[in-house]
Amino acid sequence: MDNITSRHDPRFEVTMYKYMGVENSHKLDFYEQHGGYQTAKKALTTMQSVDIVNEVKASGLRGRGGAGFPMGVKWSFMPPVDGRQRFIVCNADESEPGSTKDRFVLEDDPHQLIEGMIIAGYAIQATLGVIYIRGEYHLGYTRLYDAINEARAKGYLGKNVLASNFDFDLILHRGAGAYICGEESALMNSFEGYRANPRLKPPFPAQAGVYGFPTSVNNVTSIASGVHIIAKGADWFKSMGTQDSSGFHHVQISGPAVRRGVYEVPMGITYREIIFDLAGGVTEPVKAFIPGGSSCPMFPFTDEYLDLTMEYGVVAKAGSMMGTGGIILIPEDKCIVDALANVVHFYAHESCGKCTPCREGVSTWLPKMYAKLLAGLGESGDLELLEDVSHNIRGRSFCPLADACIMPVQASIKHFRHEYEYIIEHGKSMYAKKSRWQE
Amino acid sequence: MMDTKIQAFFADKQDLLSEILERYPDYGQRSAVMPLLRAVQDAERHVSELRIKEIADILGISATAVKGVMSFYSTYHEQPVGKYHIQICSTLSCSLAGSDEMYDYLANELDLVNGETDKDGQFSLQKVECLGSCTTAPVLQINDDYYENVGKKRCKHLVDSMRENKLEKPWRERKGDHEGAEKAKPLQKTALKGVS
Repeated sequence: MDNITSRHDPRFEVTMYKYMGVENSHKLDFYEQHGGYQTAKKALTTMQSVDIVNEVKASGLRGRGGAGFPMGVKWSFMPPVDGRQRFIVCNADESEPGSTKDRFVLEDDPHQLIEGMIIAGYAIQATLGVIYIRGEYHLGYTRLYDAINEARAKGYLGKNVLASNFDFDLILHRGAGAYICGEESALMNSFEGYRANPRLKPPFPAQAGVYGFPTSVNNVTSIASGVHIIAKGADWFKSMGTQDSSGFHHVQISGPAVRRGVYEVPMGITYREIIFDLAGGVTEPVKAFIPGGSSCPMFPFTDEYLDLTMEYGVVAKAGSMMGTGGIILIPEDKCIVDALANVVHFYAHESCGKCTPCREGVSTWLPKMYAKLLAGLGESGDLELLEDVSHNIRGRSFCPLADACIMPVQASIKHFRHEYEYIIEHGKSMYAKKSRWQE
Repeated sequence: MMDTKIQAFFADKQDLLSEILERYPDYGQRSAVMPLLRAVQDAERHVSELRIKEIADILGISATAVKGVMSFYSTYHEQPVGKYHIQICSTLSCSLAGSDEMYDYLANELDLVNGETDKDGQFSLQKVECLGSCTTAPVLQINDDYYENVGKKRCKHLVDSMRENKLEKPWRERKGDHEGAEKAKPLQKTALKGVS
């Protein structure tokens, strides 16, 4: 039988987002009434931890935070149990522009994440879990804080979880506004009470993570997917998507779409189906779309790219990345130089300043160069200089933040070079600024 | 002369202090630096030098180390912010939904520029980077709360209600699957080839 690769497929059912937005969905009573914590019980009382790792491996689940590394394989990198403390860390520092999928799990279904953490902790034999939530998510923090206390009071956390002889507890840690904390080693520094500069790798977290102990860091929807994989099996998960990219993912559509929002979709779906069937099409002519959050190079809004299927390999081959699934539509009459100046400003602000290419290049030169162009002061040679600087930054920074800025810059020049040339030649944008603020 | 010595922040909040410290293992007490900073700021709208020293002493690290952590992050303030700390998300999705104009409107209306607090300590205006509310852009964060899909009328209403000290809690915007999977059903339009 064919795999499910369309949301039109009658076999497709929304799973992780099933109870989002339902009243009281964040409460323990609600979660238990809808089968909550039964999967953790099944895992802890009927399965060996290695079975869980193998099941997740077999499911083909790839990390949903952006990098797409298979979660089960990451778990298998954990060293053998040697009596040291081990940590499972959930990266809930969602801050890639365009992404908002984790927020609704944190706010509307925090117990689903807690159950995922119990299962993940058991899988890698970690007795302590950390959920690192971004500082701005106040509602998510309070709901998760309450949910953890509810779970602890009911014996889902603490000593001897679900009478399984497995001890597991959670530490909820709140960030304070720094994109770089989404990078796993920076996150660990931040958690430990240091400035969130990324660490040199190797050693990788599995060797030396939180407080130097073996650690696995996974994204919110990756961890929560684990619950459903263990509940329904790897084969169920693999019935969606493709060989390369199995299961479901969450696309988040922003920009001029009719029905902006987060949608759970099977992998292998086309961008056309997402944008036209789920998001209901566009409200104004669109010239480009960013497929997975602002660090992913944009695609022109043409049939060739709209018919791409949402698969890690396919999107990579076409020159971009799946990222977090945050799709941003860029209107036809939005000056691309202006749009990229906004993106560059973001990365300039978020650069941690540790390494020279990022501190000087991303944080200083690029915003200056964009400001010059937008001020109408561009001169011949500026575009070549921008390309040269980009070329010299890419691949030379300490962590992926600089590349995350450079790749969209390079893609914008590749696809919309004429707009850069226009602004340099005419001293003004090809498109006048237009009011976009709704009544 | 009255005794002007300021009481230590945690002097009468030992429960809060131990609750925070107990979250972390004994060997990882330094992890408490961020929640301690947050606790002070939640109460005092900023973290003063005096409080930095107090946190340093609690954790047995230097004040410089605490300040180093504090200055890394964008949501800790060295100077007090206003009673209403208005944060405008200015990153791409919000910008495409008019956040630049919203900033201009608020700057004019409140007579403040980015980063300023008015002299009465009522309002602070700050442009911030992506708040993770892209599908409900533009978004304003006022103190802890997200106000989503803020159009012109709503923005004006929010300013009026803050001036009258009657700011209501936001409702939560629902779109896509977080509105209910039924409502988010696909529209069967894929037959439409071509884009313009």
